[in-house]
Order: sequence, then C-alpha cells, then structure tokens
Amino acid sequence: MPEKPIQGEKRVFMTGNEVVAWAALAAGAEIMYGYPITPQNEIMHYWTRLMPKYDRKFLQTEDELSAGFTTVGGVLAGRRAFTATAGPGNTLMQEPMSMAEAMRLPVVVVVQQRGGPSTATVIYSQQEVTMTTLGGNGEGLRVVYSTATHQELFDYTIKAFNTAWKYRFPTFVLGDGYQAKMRESLTFYDPAERGIEMVPTEPYVGKPGMPGVDRPPTHLRNTYNVEEELYEVLKDYLADYAKAAPEIAEYEAFDTEDAELVVVSHGVVSRAGKAAVKELREAGYKVGYFRPITLRPLPVDQLREVANKAGQLLVVESANGQLDRLVKEAAYGCSAEILPMFKPGVGITAEEVVARVKEIKG
Amino acid sequence: MGKVVKIVLAGEGGQGVQSVAEIIAEAANEEGREALYIPNFGVEQRGGVSVAYLQIGDEPIGAPKFQTGDIVVALSDRAVHRTKQYVGPETIFVYDSGIENVENELPKNAKKVLGIPAIEVSKNELHPRVFNIIIMGAVIKATEVVAVEDAKAAIEKKLGYKFEKNPKLREMNFRAIERGMELVASAM
Repeated sequence: MPEKPIQGEKRVFMTGNEVVAWAALAAGAEIMYGYPITPQNEIMHYWTRLMPKYDRKFLQTEDELSAGFTTVGGVLAGRRAFTATAGPGNTLMQEPMSMAEAMRLPVVVVVQQRGGPSTATVIYSQQEVTMTTLGGNGEGLRVVYSTATHQELFDYTIKAFNTAWKYRFPTFVLGDGYQAKMRESLTFYDPAERGIEMVPTEPYVGKPGMPGVDRPPTHLRNTYNVEEELYEVLKDYLADYAKAAPEIAEYEAFDTEDAELVVVSHGVVSRAGKAAVKELREAGYKVGYFRPITLRPLPVDQLREVANKAGQLLVVESANGQLDRLVKEAAYGCSAEILPMFKPGVGITAEEVVARVKEIKG
Repeated sequence: MGKVVKIVLAGEGGQGVQSVAEIIAEAANEEGREALYIPNFGVEQRGGVSVAYLQIGDEPIGAPKFQTGDIVVALSDRAVHRTKQYVGPETIFVYDSGIENVENELPKNAKKVLGIPAIEVSKNELHPRVFNIIIMGAVIKATEVVAVEDAKAAIEKKLGYKFEKNPKLREMNFRAIERGMELVASAM
C-alpha cells in the first residue's frame, strides 16, 4: 500500500491547478484522463508527477471528446476517475458528459474557464457557466460547484467525488484561469482525518455472478426505441434530481437581512463582491452579499428569500449574463429589481463593484 | 489589522518580474501572512510585457487583481506605458532610470516617482542575472511587506540547489537585495 498523499494538516502555498491535483489524490482518485489545454494544463502536469508515487494512473487521449469518454469508461469499470478541461475543450466534453447524464455515471470534471467564444483567450472568464450547467443535449442532470478560493478548490474537488458517487450525477468543479494560475495559501488535510468518508465506488460492468441468476442483469442504456420509454426513464431521473437538489445546493450570504441591494456573484468574482459589500457597509450603505456555491442546482429557496426581501439585486459576473439568466429563472416572480454588471471575459475588482453600487444608490 | 499592500511588477519577458513576485509572496506566506500572487499570461512564449500582481495582508485577500497599486514597478519603456493605469495618488512608482526617452511618459498623478539605476548596477557592480533580485530589494524597502531575512530565506529555498554548487551565487544574490534596498533608500 502506498502511503497516504497527505498526512496531518499542512498549510501550503501554491497554484490552483496544483491544489486540484493534490485534492484528487487526497480524495482517492484512481485515474485521470486528459488532453492539454490552457489554463488547465498543470492539473495534468502535477497529477502525472505525483501519481507514480501513490500508485495512480493517467491516460492522455487524442482530444477532449476522447478524454470525456475514457473518463466515462473508467467510471463504468468502477474507478474513481476524473478529467479536467477548459474553453473549447469543455465544449467537446459536453458530448460524453451528456452520456454520463443518460447513464447516471459519477464522472468528475474540473473546468478552468478561459475567454470565449472559441479560442478567444487562454486567460480567464466566467463564460462557461451556461455550458457547464446546462450543456449537452439533455436536461442538465448534473452538479456544478463554483469555487472562489484555493481552500474551496481543495474542499470541493474532494466533495465532487462524493456528490457524484452518492447521487450518480456527473459533477463539475468550475474554476477559472485566475484560480488556476494564482498562488495563495490553504490548508491540506486527509479527508478521513476530518471525518470525511469517501463514498465507495463500484463497477457498473463486469460484476461477479451470473446475470439473471445471481444478480439482475446490468442494463445500461443511452438509446431508446420509443418516446414513452425515454420519458419514463427521464421522469425518474428528474424526480431523483429534484429530491437531491436541496441536499446538494450550497450558498454563502451575509448582511442580507436589512439590505436594500444585494450583490449576487459566484466564483472568483465573489471575492470582489465580498470585499465591496464589506467596504460599502462600513461606508453606511445597506448592502448584502449572496453567492451561490452550487450553480446547478441553485440554492433556489434561499435566493428567492433574498430576492423578495431586498429591493435590488446586482448580478456581477465576468460573462454577459450567464449567471444572471440562472438567477432570473430561480427568482421569477420575486419583487427585487435585477440589475446587471457584466464584464465578459475580464476580471472584476472590488473597486469596480463599489463604484457601480454607488452609481446605483447615488 | 494592517492594510493589504498591493504591488504591480512589470517588465519585459525574461527580466524576472514573475520570480520576484513569487519569491516575495513565498516569503510573506512563510511569515504566516496572507499573500496572493497572480501572473498575467497569454499565448506568447516570449516577448511582450510581463505583469505580476501581488497582494500581502493579514486577512484572506479579496479579488486577485486590483485597480490601483501601492507600489508599481516598471522595468522597460513598454512596461511604463502598460502600468500607468495602476497608478493613483497614493502610489509609489518605481522605474529603471536607464530606460531612455521615458521622462514624458512617467505618471504625473503618483505620490512619488522613483528612478533607480538597477540595470546599471546589475551590469557594472554585480551580474545581469541578479537584476531582478535588485528589484526585489527595492520592492521590499519601498513597501516593508516582508523582512529582508525572510526574503533571503525564500531565495535560499528557491535557488538553494544552485547555491550548493556555487556559494558565490548566494553572496551575489544577497548583495543584490541589499543594493536594491539602498537604491530605493537613496532615491526616497
């Protein structure tokens, strides 16, 4: 038995990509499949550097379609498997992830968003929200965690494997180029030492015993002959998803009780949102902070409560309204006016959010 | 609670601004402080202006980038143009006095504009390879974000394997830090 990758708790200082590789190791991921794309590359680099020592595996494929499908294959074989991608790679990844939804496969994907559309920039954006939450031909039967700090990248990469294997929906950790490349401190830990039990994995195919005699035959489908047959399956899946959604949904909020305006942001932009709200509060503005951690499913009840209490929501994002659309759907019929602060493909600073709020509030 | 110190370092690719930012960030982290360092990066493999954003404080850092730096360091004429946007009334702007024909381009709204002959000192007194370490000394002196001993320890951590083979390199790097600090002290 190779030693545990992380023993005890340890403060470290590194890039987000390195954090993801360590988190996957700590979570007991057995294999990564991947194809290089900036700004995700170093997840693969660190994984391949670390994995021989801990007896894990890696397969580089010919593209992201293949990386997605081989990850699907790894999961079918019962492996705690993952892949990582960005931008145009995420686009290609939607086809295999759609299959993972169809077959309820607990695939884990780490996305480090870059600018779009197409090749655009290798740097940063929050423009992969729509694609990551609702991509593929299907109903978005998936879980998306949007991280904001390196500590969260570590925590939620570990959690993603458990959410995936517990609920059997493909699960995404949605980071971005800033989180991928920046360095900051965080605390490493072994999940078991924190009382986090990893949900056991099991093979979908090649189970022991005679099918139909010792066990029910395995019947994995992503093809149906008649409409009603598909509808029956999807009704069950959608019911499972609706039941799991409140258990999975997570958010972070403060100062919303008496707020006239609540800043709604996610991921790395929420760091600017948080700093701005704190500064504005000190200056006497009645503002609050709300951040969905899960973009799919959204924390709908909590968001609606805020959207009925505050007069205005200011949706701040490095995309042209991709979070905004999700928020508006969830807050449909709520009383708050929803205002935009969109900077597609560009970082947002606390100073800019402060200025925008002051402009609105006069 | 101390205020977060915001630093922008910009130079030509190869001048080593990213290493400087990384070493200072590591030193601050070793002191138990919060640090966030992010490089700009694009598709180019070389060339272009390289910018490093560094923040050091006592509480977790907010957004990775910012509007206005407390200290902005520009090491080439293109870097001067590129970094003017990060200068405000509280900013100390440091540039290399060896950059030619840049006098009219220097920011006019800074708290202080300091020209230091880092390129010249590195060439004539030390070695061009430690140019960025001189800059590191300058940043440390101007901001006092980390103690010089901790900066030296961080350099040791990063370059220790080279110093083992050639102890003179250690001496030269440490001398470079001190020279950088002196240059800023006399310019201020």
